[in-house]
Amino acid sequence: MLTLLETQRAMRRELFEASSGSPEQLGAWCAGDATSAALLLGVYRNTCVSVLLQALRLSFPALQRLVGEDFFAAAARAYLDRELPTSACLDDFGATFPRFIAGYAPAASVSYLPAVAALEWAVNRALHAEDHLPLDPARLLGLDGSALPRVAFRAHPALSLLELDAPADEIWRAVIDQDEPAMAAIDLASAPVHLLVERDGEQLVQVLRLRPRAWRLTERLCAGVPLHAALEAARADTGAADAAALDAELNAALADHLLSGRFVDFWLQEGEKS
Amino acid sequence: MSDIVSHEVDGPIPARAGIGLRFAHHEQVLATRPAIAWLEVHAENFFGGGVPRRCLETLRRDYPLSLHGVGLSLGSAEGLDARQLARLAQLVIELDPALVSEHLAWSVVDGRYLADLLPLPMTEEALATVCRHVDETQCMLRRRILIENPSTYLQFRHSSIPEWEFLAAVAQRTGCGILCDVNNIFVSASNHGWDPASYLAALPAESIQEIHLAGHATRTLADGRMLRIDHHGSRVCDEVWSLYEAALERFGAVATLIEWDTELPPLEVLLDEAAQAQRRLEHAGSRRLCHADAA
Repeated sequence: MLTLLETQRAMRRELFEASSGSPEQLGAWCAGDATSAALLLGVYRNTCVSVLLQALRLSFPALQRLVGEDFFAAAARAYLDRELPTSACLDDFGATFPRFIAGYAPAASVSYLPAVAALEWAVNRALHAEDHLPLDPARLLGLDGSALPRVAFRAHPALSLLELDAPADEIWRAVIDQDEPAMAAIDLASAPVHLLVERDGEQLVQVLRLRPRAWRLTERLCAGVPLHAALEAARADTGAADAAALDAELNAALADHLLSGRFVDFWLQEGEKS
Repeated sequence: MSDIVSHEVDGPIPARAGIGLRFAHHEQVLATRPAIAWLEVHAENFFGGGVPRRCLETLRRDYPLSLHGVGLSLGSAEGLDARQLARLAQLVIELDPALVSEHLAWSVVDGRYLADLLPLPMTEEALATVCRHVDETQCMLRRRILIENPSTYLQFRHSSIPEWEFLAAVAQRTGCGILCDVNNIFVSASNHGWDPASYLAALPAESIQEIHLAGHATRTLADGRMLRIDHHGSRVCDEVWSLYEAALERFGAVATLIEWDTELPPLEVLLDEAAQAQRRLEHAGSRRLCHADAA
């Protein structure tokens, strides 16, 4: 007799790996004849696959419009062959779909698809990430001067930073708005773009373009690089040429992040919790 | 009594009709605040934040709420997903729902979520597994949960316990309540040749805390056989209304939910279905009063 685990593993193979030749044929353990068992397993297979396809459609609507429903379904089906959700929260499913699309040969002729997919995943995070109170900037004012350089931030879970090799923000907007003139006017060479995607205070998704050096500073800060080290790295990126302008730009970016609630907490490097 | 408790949002789910709330209806429900006794949502849809969560928190102030989980996979041979359980527990703390329910089914194997409520072999091993997971969940949530009978299309040869006995045993061993899905009983009974009335008769009446009603579809398979498929995409059919009346006869007036998940109709259609359930509930309630008077 099959154990519970053997039954469930056999069912997974029947539903998602039907072509791979099941070592344990579940049909033999189903009531009724083999034909009927195969048909009934097919009913379950249809539900599983269509639920997961629908989850991907909801997370990647612009990608689907760009490639068409059938092409999208074929790509999603191929993705399911190698990736199933690790959580029942389907808003979390599809994080690796942009990378899959980048390596999906039938999509290779449209160079900007991976960039659009990456942006859509960031938008999905901005829509669904858990809520978090922003860091109150007044908490930083309470620090003494020697502590400030050691401040490391924790970014809001809804925030993503993307460096993309296509103007995916313009493409995404034009596709979602079904704005063909805007689509036609896009200069694909106007890349890379440096994007910040977030959920703002009004719960709306924002896709913002940052200047490259402000973006790099932000990326380091969001990765937990302490303030002083992140500013030093930004200066090193640029060279000493225009130090005053650089500092002004970085300070403005930092102030904007704090006032926009893009950080939710901070700690002081060397393990001292704020 | 049910009229009195219907607006006590901190109290239990009243023995009246409620509706499943889906995203497409959020704005309308927020704007119009329909006269419906309670709302049920899928727990997993609110694990994140943003607009839907904000909407639910607002509605929660005005409506009793039931959280219906679809992803805990109580029947998985492997242990429960600790993160999934922790997220559910956090949501229960934050929303303080009147009821929390899950399914007699499984959907996770080797850490992968297969995106459907899959059928269990009805074995002693599966029974022990489900009971262990219900215990763990009730312990983690610090409350009783309800377990819903599934709709199924296939049965396993190695099943040795009838589904109704399995469900009653889970309730008896863990102290959980039962969410009696009347449509699921009808669908499974029709698919497997069971007698739906005997199924109802075998359930312990004192454990029934909620009833689900929904529409289902019929499909003719390639071998000519007619299969009923639980799609939650249409009105409740006449046979299921009749079975619901039999359920109320047996269990008394129980909080009843209209579920609709695919091809969502206008909100008014859900409210109309709920009103039809409500009429039957009131009839059952008055019958019970008559019995009490007679006694």
